[in-house]
This record gives sequence, structure tokens and C-alpha cells, in this order.
Amino acid sequence: MGFSDQSNDKVTEEQLVKDLQAGEVRSFEQLANIYQKKIYALSFNLTRNATDSQDVTQEVLLTLFRKGHTFQGKSAFSSWVYRITLNASYMKLRTRKKEPNVSIDDLLPSFNSSGFQQEKIKDWSENTESLLFDNETREVIQKAVDLLPDKEKIVFILRDVDGLSTEKVSNILELTIPAVKSRLHRARLFLRKKLANYFEEYDVRKEKK
Amino acid sequence: MICCKECIELLHDYLEGELSPEINASLEEHFLDCPPCIAFVNTYKSATQICKTTLQSKDIPDAVKSRLKEFVDRKKNN
Repeated sequence: MGFSDQSNDKVTEEQLVKDLQAGEVRSFEQLANIYQKKIYALSFNLTRNATDSQDVTQEVLLTLFRKGHTFQGKSAFSSWVYRITLNASYMKLRTRKKEPNVSIDDLLPSFNSSGFQQEKIKDWSENTESLLFDNETREVIQKAVDLLPDKEKIVFILRDVDGLSTEKVSNILELTIPAVKSRLHRARLFLRKKLANYFEEYDVRKEKK
Repeated sequence: MICCKECIELLHDYLEGELSPEINASLEEHFLDCPPCIAFVNTYKSATQICKTTLQSKDIPDAVKSRLKEFVDRKKNN
């Protein structure tokens, strides 16, 4: 879901943004209420840290408060908020020790010279739903997403987790539509491969019982 | 006939329903004869779905919510 998908909400939001541009303080509170959950969730998915996400949310709200009147409306207000949130989250990450990069290319599927799949593919898709409430599984999934390279991770979070459209993501990240699609596809291939090891082993463990 | 490599390259557009009817039909024809690709598509969809579900359930903790409220109130009243 996007920030506000109902047309009524859109009208209200447009008015609130106009009021904010005009320096109306009350609209700031309402916009803060609309956006803070999204800002926090996006920041948390990038930083994986509650304190950092709270700081980022405050910084973004402060920017809206201080600079709301400078928003020119060249792109959607929500895109502007997303960009400020991304920048603030990346600033937090910059102060941390960087994890070694995982090469996404090493995890892409391999094919023989005729273009057929080389590895044996097991179908573990039926086990996944029931395992979602298991803490170990959630940790494995979280770790897999954390390992995604930044370029692919942000597209995956905005597009698949937040449910924004390809066009919206291309607008926020200033990427072409094919670039958004290609990064999303690479992210999904990476996650599939990372999780395959875990779920295939789970199948083997279950068979042994 | 279309090969596994081409099918997997087109998977994003296939799942989004963005392929032309002809290309869509050739992918489905390939899938009929290729259990590894079926397994690949199922696990690709499944991995996407479970990652999405795991990451989506992030509510603001109550303590953070009240600190943000204090912050907004302070700004508003300044």
C-alpha cells in the first residue's frame, strides 16, 4: 500500500501539504501522523535499529516542519518524504562498520550452454507459510534481506514490502523503469537462492524425523 | 522453443502480467515440460512473499510513538 490510496485521503493530503507550504502549523501535526509509521518502518528496514529509526523519524519530521514551505511540488509530496527518509537512514548507516559485500552475481541461477538450468531445483514453497511464525525462520529471512546489496535492497523494500508501484519507485530513486524492474528481479533471485538452502535443509530434517 | 534462462529472465514481467500474449504462451508451454522451472517459479514467488510478510509487520513501538508525539507537540507549540 502507498501512503494514501483512497482518493478522499489524497484530497485531504493535498490540502494539508498546501497548508504546510503556507506555514500552517496544524497541518504539520496531521502530516506527521499520516507519515510517521511509514518513515519509521522504512528506516527500520534499512537500519535494523530502533534507536536509529526513531532518530531518523524525528529528523524527517523536523525537516518537514522546517522546510515544508520550501517543498515545490515538482514530484509527489510522498516521494519527497521518502527521499528525505532514505538520505537520513543512509547517513546513520554511514557511521557503522560496513558488512562485506555479497556478490549478487554469484547467487544468480546458472545455466548450461543450451540455456537449461544446471542445478537441481527443489520445490520448498509449500513449507514456508507454516514456518513464518518460527523465530529462527524469521531471523534467517531477515538476515537474507540484510545481505542484499543496497541498490537492490531499497528497490525490494519500496516495491515489494511497501507495495509502491514501479513508477513511484522510479520517481523516488530517480531510476528508469527498466532499472527498477531489473533490480527488483535481482533482489528476488538473491533472496530465493539465500532461502533455498535453509528451506531445503528444513525438508531434509523433517524427512529424517 | 524458449529455454530456462530466457524464462527466468522474463519472470518478473511474467508475474506482473506484462508480457505479450505470444511470449506469455511460450513461457507457459516451457513450464509444462520443465518441472525445475515450475519449482523455480514457485520458490521465487514464495521467497518474495515470506520476505515481504516478515518485513511488513513493523509498527512503531509505543514508547517511540509517545516520544514522537512529544516531539511533534513541542514543535507545534514553539
